[in-house]
Amino acid sequence: MKNMAMKNLAIVKMLGIIFFALSCGGAWAANPLQQELLKNIKQNAQEKITGKPAITREEEIAIGRQIAGNLLGAAPLVKDAKLQKYINQVGRWIADQSERPDLAWHFGVIEASDVNAFAAPGGYIFVTRGLYQTLRSEAELAGVLGHEIGHVIRQHHLKILQQSKLLDLGSQHLVKKVGGNEKVQGLIGSGAEIASRALDKDAEYEADRIAVVLSARAGYDAFGLPAVLQQLGHVAKDEGNVTLLFKTHPHPDDRLDKLGSIMDERFDKVRGKTLEKRLYRIAK
Amino acid sequence: MNTTKIYLTRRIFLRGIFLLAVSLFSGLLYAAESGTVLKADDIRREPFRDAKSVTTLAVGDAVSIIKQDGGWLQISKGKSRGWVRMLSIRRGDVRKGGTNAKGVLALTSGRAGTGKVVATTGIRGLTTEELKQAQFNEDEVKLAESYASSKVAAAQYAAQGKLVARRVDYLGVAK
Repeated sequence: MKNMAMKNLAIVKMLGIIFFALSCGGAWAANPLQQELLKNIKQNAQEKITGKPAITREEEIAIGRQIAGNLLGAAPLVKDAKLQKYINQVGRWIADQSERPDLAWHFGVIEASDVNAFAAPGGYIFVTRGLYQTLRSEAELAGVLGHEIGHVIRQHHLKILQQSKLLDLGSQHLVKKVGGNEKVQGLIGSGAEIASRALDKDAEYEADRIAVVLSARAGYDAFGLPAVLQQLGHVAKDEGNVTLLFKTHPHPDDRLDKLGSIMDERFDKVRGKTLEKRLYRIAK
Repeated sequence: MNTTKIYLTRRIFLRGIFLLAVSLFSGLLYAAESGTVLKADDIRREPFRDAKSVTTLAVGDAVSIIKQDGGWLQISKGKSRGWVRMLSIRRGDVRKGGTNAKGVLALTSGRAGTGKVVATTGIRGLTTEELKQAQFNEDEVKLAESYASSKVAAAQYAAQGKLVARRVDYLGVAK
């Protein structure tokens, strides 16, 4: 056992050195051949150890930042500094209950009337004004942010990018172009299109389960997300403000049903704060 | 027309408006408190799994929601009153055909007392096409990043709200 652990530690250490070398030497600027070789070694080793997409934290953040910037290009932040600081304080606290407190988490409310929320790799999370204004307590906000944090920590979007071959690490994509944005943009398709793409249904259900757990860990009432889903459940699919949400997520009733069958007993006695009064209200 | 007549007419008119307002308001209140049964479940005397069942609810039953306590809702249906698991109920009426309420407006219009007015004009929606065409906005990302909270600041803010972190294991996949 100890031997195994030592061996793993050695592998992890070696990986660490490779990562470090890569990030120091400028992964983007290195000799293409050398870079590709390192990438492949790293990818294989990392996938074997973690079973997760082979990608460094820096790459993850670079991809997420590009998607975030594109999304903000389509819908800028609501110009209310207090609101933005508030959502960052709440979001960071919840994210810190996850296994990725190391990420530089960013949260924001964006100017869009749609009811929706977006997550990009590396910890960029945005809630639309439309969704934010339906919330009635900080626990509900926690539920929504917890769902998006769930996508980030389980790297759901990265998996989609890899499946769709857009993100083909170790291939031509990374070495072909020059200039920060362009290069990363080449990996994620067009604009913030990735944000409008549906994830696997199971990924959504998984994010829901993570949301209630992270909410509870953070001391909130675990039923914040279910309460939001209850509200969404009676909006028709064809109503403009929820078109994208319904296109990209299972129906709220199905999500409630899945949560219901698993939360029932575990959360009966878990009580937490709802903090209705502390929820920051956007001025009209 | 003499003054008494004008006065009476005005009084009747005002009363009409008042009644109209009352009926509208109570209609809204009712809408805010109503729910629909999503999953067959028992109404129980107390908000506990093993509390005595008062009666059973069938899918689609309309109920009135009185209040919430954690994962439980106190509801009434006809003469029966008691507690039911929150996740067995969907807030709001079953959607009827022909309602004109749109999107967010439909979500919030029924909530009495929140004082929320949701703008439906002036703010753009986000379509798939718009997201596809979106151009990277460096200034806006920098602005977003400038609002980041540190771990310490977030923990302090949580403590102000008396939020206490606790251990909860992740949930497995539902059977």
